[in-house]
Amino acid sequence: MAGCIEFSGISKLFPGVRALADVSFRADSGQVLALLGENGAGKSTLLKILSGDVKPDGGRISIDGAEQSFQSPTDALRAGISVIYQERQLVPAGSVAENIFAGDLPGRSGVVDYKALYEQTAEIIGKFGLDIDPDEPVGRLPIARQQMVEIMKAYRRDSAIIAFDEPTASLTDSEISILFRLINELKESGKIIIYVSHRLSEIFQISDKITVLKDGCLVTTLETARTDEAELIRAMVGRDLGDTYAKLSRNDRLGDTLLEVRDLETEDVHGVSFTLRRGEVLGFAGLIGAGRTEVMRAIFGADRILSGAVVFDGREGGFKSPKEAIDAGVALCPEDRKEQGLVLFRSIRDNITMPVLQKLKRLLFLDKRAGHKLAQSAIARYDIRTPSADKAVVELSGGNQQKVILGRWTSDMMDTKLLILDEPTKGIDVGTKAEVYQIICDFAKQGIGVIFISSELTEVINVADRILVMKGGRITGELTRAEATEENVLALAMKDV
Amino acid sequence: MTGTKAGKFLRGKIAALIAIIIVVGAIFTIANKSYISPKNIMSLMTSISLSGTLAVGLGCLLISGHVDLASGTEGCIAGIVVALLLGTGMPWPVALLLTVVFGCVMGLVHAFLVHVLGFMAFIATIGMSSVYKGLALVISNGANVSISNQAFYTIGSGSLGIFPLPFIIMTVLFIVYSLILKYTKFGRAVYLCGGNVNAARLAGVSPKRVSTILFVNCGAISALAGAIFAARVHMGGPNNVWGAEMDGIAAAVLGGVSFMGGSGNLGGAFVGLILINAFNNGLNAIGLQAYWQTAAQGVILIAALLVDYFGERGRVRALKAAS
Repeated sequence: MAGCIEFSGISKLFPGVRALADVSFRADSGQVLALLGENGAGKSTLLKILSGDVKPDGGRISIDGAEQSFQSPTDALRAGISVIYQERQLVPAGSVAENIFAGDLPGRSGVVDYKALYEQTAEIIGKFGLDIDPDEPVGRLPIARQQMVEIMKAYRRDSAIIAFDEPTASLTDSEISILFRLINELKESGKIIIYVSHRLSEIFQISDKITVLKDGCLVTTLETARTDEAELIRAMVGRDLGDTYAKLSRNDRLGDTLLEVRDLETEDVHGVSFTLRRGEVLGFAGLIGAGRTEVMRAIFGADRILSGAVVFDGREGGFKSPKEAIDAGVALCPEDRKEQGLVLFRSIRDNITMPVLQKLKRLLFLDKRAGHKLAQSAIARYDIRTPSADKAVVELSGGNQQKVILGRWTSDMMDTKLLILDEPTKGIDVGTKAEVYQIICDFAKQGIGVIFISSELTEVINVADRILVMKGGRITGELTRAEATEENVLALAMKDV
Repeated sequence: MTGTKAGKFLRGKIAALIAIIIVVGAIFTIANKSYISPKNIMSLMTSISLSGTLAVGLGCLLISGHVDLASGTEGCIAGIVVALLLGTGMPWPVALLLTVVFGCVMGLVHAFLVHVLGFMAFIATIGMSSVYKGLALVISNGANVSISNQAFYTIGSGSLGIFPLPFIIMTVLFIVYSLILKYTKFGRAVYLCGGNVNAARLAGVSPKRVSTILFVNCGAISALAGAIFAARVHMGGPNNVWGAEMDGIAAAVLGGVSFMGGSGNLGGAFVGLILINAFNNGLNAIGLQAYWQTAAQGVILIAALLVDYFGERGRVRALKAAS
């Protein structure tokens, strides 16, 4: 078993982006090393180099002093390295067992031994303490379970070095505790664990050392026991965020009622009632699957309303389609920005001007210059980091992609009255999050009603003026910002109804 | 375990297709008793065997996430090649072997286009099919090349009992490749590559290697199918075989092989094949006008897809209700 892995002087240049520059650190057997950094700091690239997926331009990786040269993922696997990616690498139609043993099915002389396969899989599932049928197609499992299958896959390989890339992103609390128990077991058995996460609290819970990256460079490596959140955030963003929330410049003038929802019933939503005033930031808290997104979809005209009323801007009857909602001034920024929000391979300009193409029409053609101006003003207003408005959105970091969506719905040509943000800070870094909070408050100042959905308790209770908590498609409580604490919101989010 | 497996099968797509076959067969039999006569069944089995043999190679490729739209024209040109080789007086086993090797070379060309030049299999093989069609015309001078080797005819028109030899060859191929797909590590790697290429690569499987083997395999099987057809009709001709690949693909997809790769199996493709052909044959048996037959063939395909669509929707609903 390997004693340590050393990264020395790793560099990687992508077209136009310096992903990594002279990064050196080491991880030791029996320890969890956390990799921390904002989006675009180079963590993912580093993991791809570790797994042999990407070749570095300079520097070397050595295990126990022996230099490694990975030509392909196969080489890295042979050297005892397993990387668990954030994007699940599973075959949906394949069984749980086959996915766990992908590329390495038990058997002799090319013939698969299904009996051994299912037995060994059942054994691994048992170790994880989960109730999953080894024969079940992975695509039929809930997302959190699929993520566990991905983790079991790496566990099965029994690699000496295991790297996790944001493993808890879609896990429930009980699954997170199973994962942490296993990571601790792996660590005690002398494995080298590299753990990438945005969630600071997790990093303190699980890691022994923390290596911080920023803009592709190594900032520092700290002992977990001898540091605190403030120091880490300083290292990550290069400045002291201090109390982000206290510094927010909020709107203090609420207008009249903009949206009223009464006894809303859909397939997934039950008896939801609330109101929203102009200039108000209304937070929706709750665990994943609490029905918050479904409420918004119903308001937006994307899901069928079974009964109840939606009154928007004095207009009764709700919306029959998203187009009606958009025309009336409702903008929805969906949670999955890559799938439902952006056209990834089109430019920033195309993405921003999408809903106002009609207005940009001059005779038969689009007024390109006006579109460009619109995009430029969004880039300037939200500080979108890009060389030009023509850059494809796919090349931007997650935080900048989110800013493009915000820019789209709030451009000068839009008359947005209600802005619904579903997990707008998901997967974006601390520095950009603070910017997004201020953007939200600025919307409110313009008299826009904002609905802010977030699963991160701290942000939702500190940014919103009023917080509604949901569970199982129902509202379980309402709190003002002054009343809300992480404890009482969480209690409502888990309340039995 | 066996109980649940049987249950799964009964609720599955293949069971539904078999039920449709039985119903369709019963209706045709009522309409015309000669539908289930040994003579008609034999002719059905013979007519199935060309597109069925192509479906074996195509099915494997489809599962791996690729396709070979040239496989019919590969069969066409292979038929001419085998006829020309036999014309030189060469013993038929040698001629057949060389023809299959020729098929491998065509498959290798497709793998080259897809992996080295990075074209999509769909368009690369459409392009190559045109090349093969043209070459078939060139080497045959635009005319049928007749075969006079009597021994060679047996492959195409011999039979064991009521089973025509081409049908037996096809069935053996179906069984062998089903076993390979289900029980070998290579076979499972085919599903892995088709289901998620990236996952396969990161698990240490080489998707390029897997699909290169399958392209070559598809070329070889297509050439074999073309040679068998030539043996049956006693000639290789520039208008033979091509077009049959579409029936093969339709049969595979109807039987549950995903056009996107990663799921399905050859058993399903076999059942799909029987359904399409039993139906087409039945239309003849009841004497439907030829023009209407073409339309009816399309209708059965769409109908089978509808059954599947509603079945899948039911399953999704049940899953939702359960969770």
